[in-house]
Amino acid sequence: MSADVILVIVVATALAFDFTNGFHDTANVVATSISTGAARPSVAIGAASLLNFLGAFISISVAATVANDVVNSEVITPTIVFAGLIGAIAWNLITWSFGLPSSSSHALIGGVVGSAVAAAGFNAVLADGLVGKVLIPAIIAPVLAFGVAGLSIGVVYRVVGKQRPGTVSRGFKYGQIVSGGLLALAHGTNDAQKTMGVITLALIANGSLAANADPPLWVIASSAAAIALGTYSGGWRIIKTTGTRIIKMDPAQGFSSQGAGAAVILASTHFGFPLSTTHVINGGVMGAGAAKRFSAVRWGVAGNIVFAWVLTLPAAALIGALAYGVSRIFGTGALGPVLVTLMSLSLIFAVFARRFQRGSPVPASSG
Amino acid sequence: MIATLVEGQALLETVVASLVAGVGVTLAFSIAIWGFGRFADLSRNERPAAAGAAAAAAGLALLGVTAAVVAGIVVMAHK
Repeated sequence: MSADVILVIVVATALAFDFTNGFHDTANVVATSISTGAARPSVAIGAASLLNFLGAFISISVAATVANDVVNSEVITPTIVFAGLIGAIAWNLITWSFGLPSSSSHALIGGVVGSAVAAAGFNAVLADGLVGKVLIPAIIAPVLAFGVAGLSIGVVYRVVGKQRPGTVSRGFKYGQIVSGGLLALAHGTNDAQKTMGVITLALIANGSLAANADPPLWVIASSAAAIALGTYSGGWRIIKTTGTRIIKMDPAQGFSSQGAGAAVILASTHFGFPLSTTHVINGGVMGAGAAKRFSAVRWGVAGNIVFAWVLTLPAAALIGALAYGVSRIFGTGALGPVLVTLMSLSLIFAVFARRFQRGSPVPASSG
Repeated sequence: MIATLVEGQALLETVVASLVAGVGVTLAFSIAIWGFGRFADLSRNERPAAAGAAAAAAGLALLGVTAAVVAGIVVMAHK
């Protein structure tokens, strides 16, 4: 009975994480389309929600990586997964409140690694998987997106540089509808799977699924729905940072950064690397800006973003470990996770209440 | 050491696929915009043959972009 209660809490927490992943990370997907005027905010976000939902059904290779390659599934319990999710959600909300586009993927992986270490020591972590499938791709992916977007925008200016600016701008705005759609689809294939991976891990830990099992259909469908709902809720703070604060973007740059992002995410999903869509998209935006003029990139903003990226894994791991420690004070039953959930909800409610007292967090122009 | 950790071959293929797809699609789409722009200009200057060639180039480039997008989705669907 107690194990089932914990499992239900874990699944609900995982879906809550997926929701925060939607409004946190998907802001990056639509930011470039909105900031260049290629799509109205409501249309861009509605389309991105739908495409995220559909994308979640396309592939499960990344889910398998999260479930099997980062932590030792034999020592993982549902409480460990729960505490890891709390670490990830907390870090997502902290970075969201500062408008920083940090990685939900790394927050999730960091949270689970932290709680696993707190519970079972460093033996619980599969170091090869963590380094090979998370850390090294985390460094390579944004650099790759930076390079691809930079090369792409160079090609664009060479081919259409002498055309009428109005025609070029209009053409790339149309192109952004397609590139933005593909990016949202790619995002769905990559990010919704992380939640699928975590729920699958909890089901395996609970004995409800065999080790190395694929996510069941209900896990895929609920993860897809949660990320789509989160996307629809929007993440205006991060849209503003990615869309306007890193560079002042023209439609050609928007198209190049989205195209580069989609290409890198689709390719990496195909090979099962659970990379951060946030890193990729922001790397692409910086690349498209720097290739036009190096000083066009606001490197101070870019530096803050990179700093948040570096902090994400250890910070989420620390919060995950703390959440596990607090849960275990109340024994191995359901009481610990229930109390930690209530404490977390109270904290989130208090933070949001203070923010709404100060004024709406949604800018008036977001419309 | 690093090569074994990151499955070097898969990572190299990811890099190559990203470069080819990202730059290739942007190039094709730029050619499409260039072609349509030239088509409009040449049509106004009453040069139908050249305008037709520009439109054909634009159409072919758009077909390439469409094919790349479909290929990307198909690759995902078969994973």
